[in-house]
Amino acid sequence: MRRIFPTYAGLVLPDVFAAVSNPARRVILDELRQGPRTAGELTGLLDLSRPAASEHLAVLREAGLVREERQGRNRVYHLQPARLAEIGGWVKHYEHYWNQRLDALADLLDKEKPS
Amino acid sequence: MTENAIRLERRYPHPVAAVWAALTTPELLARWWAQGNIAPVVGHRFSMDMDAWGQQQCEVLTVDPGTSISFLFSEGQLDTTITWRLEPVDGGTILHFEHVGFQLDTPMGRHAIEGMGNGWPSLLARIDSLLAEVG
Repeated sequence: MRRIFPTYAGLVLPDVFAAVSNPARRVILDELRQGPRTAGELTGLLDLSRPAASEHLAVLREAGLVREERQGRNRVYHLQPARLAEIGGWVKHYEHYWNQRLDALADLLDKEKPS
Repeated sequence: MTENAIRLERRYPHPVAAVWAALTTPELLARWWAQGNIAPVVGHRFSMDMDAWGQQQCEVLTVDPGTSISFLFSEGQLDTTITWRLEPVDGGTILHFEHVGFQLDTPMGRHAIEGMGNGWPSLLARIDSLLAEVG
């Protein structure tokens, strides 16, 4: 089993996945794709209480998905897309899976008609 | 987002016809992948038994007999397209494999994200051991 999932043994990825698994946080990430937004703008967008919105922003910050910048009295959030790209790694599970299947196909073909 | 497709190539020391049969005959398909009533007929609907993932609905999209077949895989769940294309080469066949259309915004994509780190890998492992038995 360990052999099957070498890329997910690390502790980094689950943070990112946990962060984006929440719908409210995905709304924030989507919005930030358009450009930087203040904490107030994001809170308004989410229709959440300020503490709840702050908590989501904190999770995204800790996962490295957003960066906070203070501008006077405002906190401005920027998307950090590099971390988001790691999510693409879930497709790798399938790649590994298919490599094993294609190995199995080779075995089957050899068995049916040894070359 | 990074590449949301899988493209693999394998060379098998067997004639195209043998590989084609292994891909499109349910009895043979079950021995290297999974149980499912595949048929190389455009519009043919079938399901693949992916064990822990359940039955995955599929539909054949294109067929070039003896050469290529593509089908929708996991309709309503993963919503992807699988294509197998065979190229005859000296002493064998190259299988060009494609699995494209992975989207995070599908039930399976969300499931993959949400289950990462606990349920999902073990589900895959179960499928694999089942297939190992079948194969």
